[in-house]
Amino acid sequence: MKKHGRFMVGLVGVAAVVSYLIWTGVSETMVYYLTPIELMAKIEADPTFHEVGVKVGGQVVRGTYQRVEGELLHTFMVRDLADESVTFPVEYRDALPGTFTDDVEVVLEGRLRPDGVFEATTLLTKCGSRYEAAPEDLAG
Amino acid sequence: MTVLGEFALWISLPVAIWGMVLGYAGGRTQRGDLVLSSERSVYAVFFLLTLASLGVMAAFVNDSFEYWYVASYSNRDAEIFYKVTGLWAGQRGSLLFWALLLGFFASLCVFLNRKKNREFMPYVAGVLQTILTFFIVVLLFADVNPFERLAFTPADGQGLNPQLQNYWMTIHPPTLYLGFTAFTIPFAFAVAALLNGRLDARWIALTRRWILTSWLFLSVGIVLGMRWAYEELGWGGYWFWDPVENASLLPWLTATAFLHSIQIQENRGMLKVWNMSLVLLTFLLTIFATFLTRSGLIESVHSFAQELKIAYIFLGFMSAVLGACIVLILYRLPQLRSENQIESFLSRESAFLFNNLMLLGAAFTVMWGTMFPLIAEGVTGESVTVGPPFFERVNFPIGLVLLALAGIGPVIAWRRATRRNLQRNFATPVVVGLAVAAVLWVLGARHELALTTWGIGAFVLTIIFTEFWKGTRARARIEGERYALAFFHLVSRNRRRWGGYTVHVGIVLIFMGFAGSAYNVDERHHMMPGDVVEVESPFGHTYSLTYESLSFSIGRGQRNLMWQAIATVSVERDGEARGILTTENRQYVQNDQIMTEVGIAPTPLEDLYLILAGVDDLEGIMSGEAASEGIDLQTLVKPLVSWIWFGCLILAGGTVVALWPSVDRKRAAAAAVPAAPVREPALAASAD
Repeated sequence: MKKHGRFMVGLVGVAAVVSYLIWTGVSETMVYYLTPIELMAKIEADPTFHEVGVKVGGQVVRGTYQRVEGELLHTFMVRDLADESVTFPVEYRDALPGTFTDDVEVVLEGRLRPDGVFEATTLLTKCGSRYEAAPEDLAG
Repeated sequence: MTVLGEFALWISLPVAIWGMVLGYAGGRTQRGDLVLSSERSVYAVFFLLTLASLGVMAAFVNDSFEYWYVASYSNRDAEIFYKVTGLWAGQRGSLLFWALLLGFFASLCVFLNRKKNREFMPYVAGVLQTILTFFIVVLLFADVNPFERLAFTPADGQGLNPQLQNYWMTIHPPTLYLGFTAFTIPFAFAVAALLNGRLDARWIALTRRWILTSWLFLSVGIVLGMRWAYEELGWGGYWFWDPVENASLLPWLTATAFLHSIQIQENRGMLKVWNMSLVLLTFLLTIFATFLTRSGLIESVHSFAQELKIAYIFLGFMSAVLGACIVLILYRLPQLRSENQIESFLSRESAFLFNNLMLLGAAFTVMWGTMFPLIAEGVTGESVTVGPPFFERVNFPIGLVLLALAGIGPVIAWRRATRRNLQRNFATPVVVGLAVAAVLWVLGARHELALTTWGIGAFVLTIIFTEFWKGTRARARIEGERYALAFFHLVSRNRRRWGGYTVHVGIVLIFMGFAGSAYNVDERHHMMPGDVVEVESPFGHTYSLTYESLSFSIGRGQRNLMWQAIATVSVERDGEARGILTTENRQYVQNDQIMTEVGIAPTPLEDLYLILAGVDDLEGIMSGEAASEGIDLQTLVKPLVSWIWFGCLILAGGTVVALWPSVDRKRAAAAAVPAAPVREPALAASAD
């Protein structure tokens, strides 16, 4: 029985280590996923948020996309999906995915600098019909 | 045909309900006529679901766009191959396909057991029909009927998402589904055991092959998905901890745990409740994965709202199954007592238990990370996510412990390992593992995690090869056989053991392949035709890449293709010509996205992987008046990726060895009659 007790301690120990890994894993890798409106509100409430990496989902404003020649720099404006008036400029230094168009829905990871420019480190395009399409659209 | 299929689907519902009720009633009353009827209804449901599936395929082949499902996933110009496989291209067809596969396995199971295991079969048929009933109800009443018609008939369909138009993508979902559905059989036997009270290891022995079959398809299915991501998604990786990927990994983790823990029950009569719980959990996770993979539940809360009905039906079913099983387990608890206790930390039981804890820990981590955004949003109202860094941080240490256990488990003694047992089995492998890590360090490998993986991998491989060698040598000496023959006999006499060891070798190779990603080379070059770049690989090779030309073609060759821009790159490795690689951008009709096709030159040690990351003047090239033919070429070197695919083959081979019906037993049975009188004098002689 004593052996059994010692064994239980071992099991609990393993469970504790795994829980600890998950706990620290979540707290250190967790990223806020915000809409542009929420991001602006957060920054206003707490200016240190400029330093915090966040994920933002929005839409590229048509006609604002520019590629800076000579270096791999892309700039464009992103607006809130619900409110067109909430926008911010984005700088992205990497190759754009083939799915990028100038009015696509994007998910950006990066931080909003104090100068109001969002410095994106990753850019994913979000296609509304990734695996599904609505044939209702075919009616017209 | 399609109308007939729709009709068949409706008919299958009462038949399945009939079989479900009669199965339970037959088990309870022991009335042979009820049981027979229930078992026959399984065949009937399979036949009807086959008709329904053929109906959907016919609708695809005939371009019947009046059906919502066909209009969503096909169009006139789609290749016939993708029309036929349209059955599992989307959620609606997938659910029917799932039911079809389950019907197939259920029929096979009933057929194989038509003359044996009669104490289990009524309940097994009942459980299988319950699950079939559930899927048929979902298909008919949860707004996912593949036979649903549109109010109008579109002139053409939406077409299949180009990313799904890939060879791997057409075989990956069916393989996974085979794994998911095959696991239903062990689950049905477990419930049958709870119902009829035969709670020894019998139900496990009866379903061992089903468990292995399911596990084989799950493993291969997951790796096929990785292969698809690697070739088609065009970002150079094979795993992204995407919710859909995670959903397929979850049942694999718990099934792997189950595969190990049943051995403790068979050998030592312990962990009975645990095994019941694992089989239940794995079954629920296969249902969860089926639901998740074809819905947008995790991606956003909005799609959750759209699919509320089906989500509730699935959740309701899963809760009902969970509740019923818990009640059954509690009811049978006195008969599920352990026959033994764990005696020592250093024993095979304990190694297996730790393996189980680690696998469940990994499963919990993956589950938590996948569901975290939903939970967090529900609780705090704020949207948060965890990405690959979370999964990697938690799962890498767990994975390394599991990897080490893959070597420790097979050779540590049952009950209590002595010092001698430990020294004899582990001294050399530990030295080899450390030596491999040291040599790699000297050669310049400095990535700690990768070094640890390779070191532990070498440790495990040494253990397993030593086992094979010892067994072969002993047999060769005792039986006087040549080594090759002795090896063959060794394996064929105990397929389960040696097949299992082979699977471990496959797992080690896969892990070593994963670790190779620590040395990925990823560069980006802007190039004009004629430009040459040199890429150094971590194995010391120099690739010299010449950008030859960019060619553009419109809609030729493949159907549904609007245009393709193909960059041709000639490859030299260490000054030796290695041929041409192409990487493309292409666009399909009815889809705004520009797709990238990568160029891959695989070798056993490293893959050269080229991505056409950008074209300077795409519009100019389309109109034939390009200002520049410059491109952005992303050049990756990916070490040891081939080991993953190769490891999967070894793993599959090992599983098949473990699965293969034992020829010996049949021979023994055939030989038993004439052999008996011959043996008697010998026995009598030895008794003297």
